[in-house]
Amino acid sequence: MRRAGWVVLAAVLLLFPLSFDNPYYEQLGSLVLLAAISASAWNLIGGYAGQVSVGNAVFFGAGAYMPLLFYKLWQVSPLLGFPAGIAVSLVIAVVIGIPTLRLSGHYFSMATIAVAELIRIVVSNWDFVGAAIGLTGPATPRGWWDLVFRSSVPYYYMFLAVLVALVAITYGIQRSRFGYYLRAIRGGERAARSLGVPVSRYKLYAFMLSATFTSLAGSLYVVKFGFIDPGSAFGILVSVNMVLIAALGGAGRLFGPLLGAAILIPLQTETNNLFGGGGTGLTYILYGGIIVLIARFEPGGLLEMWERLRAKRGSRAA
Amino acid sequence: MDFGGFRALSGASLDIAQGEIIGLIGPNGAGKSTFFNCLVGDLRPSGGRVLLNEHDVTRASPEVHARLGIGRSFQVPATFEDLTILENVMVGAFLRHSRVREARESARRVLELTGLDALADHKAKSLGTPGRKRLEIARVLATEPKLMLLDEALAGLTPVEVQQAIELVRRIHRSGITLVIVEHVMEVILTLAERVVVFNQGRVIARGTPTEVVNDEAVIDAYLGHSHARRHGKHA
Repeated sequence: MRRAGWVVLAAVLLLFPLSFDNPYYEQLGSLVLLAAISASAWNLIGGYAGQVSVGNAVFFGAGAYMPLLFYKLWQVSPLLGFPAGIAVSLVIAVVIGIPTLRLSGHYFSMATIAVAELIRIVVSNWDFVGAAIGLTGPATPRGWWDLVFRSSVPYYYMFLAVLVALVAITYGIQRSRFGYYLRAIRGGERAARSLGVPVSRYKLYAFMLSATFTSLAGSLYVVKFGFIDPGSAFGILVSVNMVLIAALGGAGRLFGPLLGAAILIPLQTETNNLFGGGGTGLTYILYGGIIVLIARFEPGGLLEMWERLRAKRGSRAA
Repeated sequence: MDFGGFRALSGASLDIAQGEIIGLIGPNGAGKSTFFNCLVGDLRPSGGRVLLNEHDVTRASPEVHARLGIGRSFQVPATFEDLTILENVMVGAFLRHSRVREARESARRVLELTGLDALADHKAKSLGTPGRKRLEIARVLATEPKLMLLDEALAGLTPVEVQQAIELVRRIHRSGITLVIVEHVMEVILTLAERVVVFNQGRVIARGTPTEVVNDEAVIDAYLGHSHARRHGKHA
C-alpha cells in the first residue's frame, strides 16, 4: 500500500509535463515544484525545528540575485552564481541566526521579517544591483550553460531533481539524531536543553540548511524567468508564501510542502488569471482566509487532518 | 540569588555524596526550586558556586550539566507533546548513543524499567499527569545520569500512584544513581530520603535525618505546624 503510493507519486511527477503537451500546464507544474522546493527548505527550520522564519525571502533573493549579478559583471553562465548565492545566504544565516535564534517564538519571527524588509529596502536603492528595476539575464542562450529554454519542460525536470534531492535529505534528517533533536526543540527548548540537546547549535544548523536550499530555489527561479526585482526577490509575500504552503500541507512533515504547493499554486494562478492585474489584492484576501482557516481548524495542516480521518475510519472498521 | 530586588536564596549550601537520596523541603516560596535551578544550570546564581567532583559548573549551560551526568525533571511536566513516548525517551538516549538504533534500544530498556513500554507508540499528549511525570523521569534516565534531581515529581498523584512512584524512585536509586528530591508531600520525603534539608525564606533552617528534622523546633514553626509534629515527629 505504502509502496504503491510512492510509485503513483513518482509516476505523476515524472509524467506530468509529458501528458499535457500544453505550455500552460507545463509552466504550472514547474511553478508548483519550485514552490515546493522553497517551502520544503523553510520546513527544515520552520516545520521541524518550529522556528517560524518569516524572512526566508532573504535567502531566496540572494540566490536569485547572484546568478544575474555574475552575468551582468562578467557575462558568465548564471550557473556560476548558484554557489555564490548559497555562500552569501550561509553568511547571512549565520550573521542573523546567531543573535535572533536566541529569541524564542514570535520574537524570532518578527526579527526575521525586520531583516528581510531591511535588505529589500537596501537592494531597492542600490544601483550596483539595479536598484528598484532589478537585474536581467541573457535574453538568448549562448549555450546550454546559460539555462535559457523556451519551454518549461527542462525547468520542470531541473526543479524536480532538486526537489527529490531535498526531500531525500529531509528524509535522512528525519530519521537521524538531528531530526529527533529538531523536533525536541520544537516541543520545548528548556526541556530539550535539560536532556543535553545543544539547542542553539542545532537551530543554527537547521537555519543554514534551510538557507542553502532556499537560495537554490531563488537561483532556479531566476534562470527560469530571466529577471529579478527587489519585490519578487525579497518581498514579504515571498516569505509568507513559503510559510503558508508548508503550513497548509503540514509543517514538519516530509510531503507537507509538496501537497501545499500543489493546492496553493494552481489556486493563485487561477485567481490571477480570473482577475488579471487587479487581482493582486485578492491574493492577499485569499492568503488571509487560508491563514485563518489553518490556524483555527487545522494547525497541523492537511496531512494531519487526513491521517486523523483515516485513523477514525480504521477504528470504526475494526 | 536575586530576582530584581528580591533575594530568593542566600547562604544556602548543600553537599551531595554519591549514592545518597537527599530531600529538599520547605514551604512555598522558600527557595527550593530556585536552589534546584541553580544546581542544574537553568539559573546562574549571583553568588556562590556549584561544584561537581571538584569541577566548577556554576556557569555551565543546562546541556553541559546533562552531559556531565546531572539530570533533572520539571515541576510542570515538559514532555514533547507531539512526539511519541518512545521518541521522547530517545531524545534523552541520544546523549550517549548517537546512532538511532542504539538510542531506540536504550530507550526501550528505560521504558520497561519505568513501566511505560506498553504505551511506547502513543503520543506524549495522550498521557495524564502521572504518566507525564513518569515519562519525564524515563527521559532523564535515558541520559544515563549519575545524579538525578526530581522537582516535585510526585506532586498531584493519588496515594496509589505515589506508592508506584516511590517504588520507581527506589529502583532508580538501587541502580546506583544519586538523587535529590524536592517534595511538598512530607510522607514521600520521610520514606525515601536519608538526609533532609529544610528551606525557609531562602535559607537552610535545618538539616539531618528525617527524624531529626521533623523534631526540629525551627522546622515545626516554619513549616510543619504543631499538629503535624504531634502526628509524626514526636512519636518517631
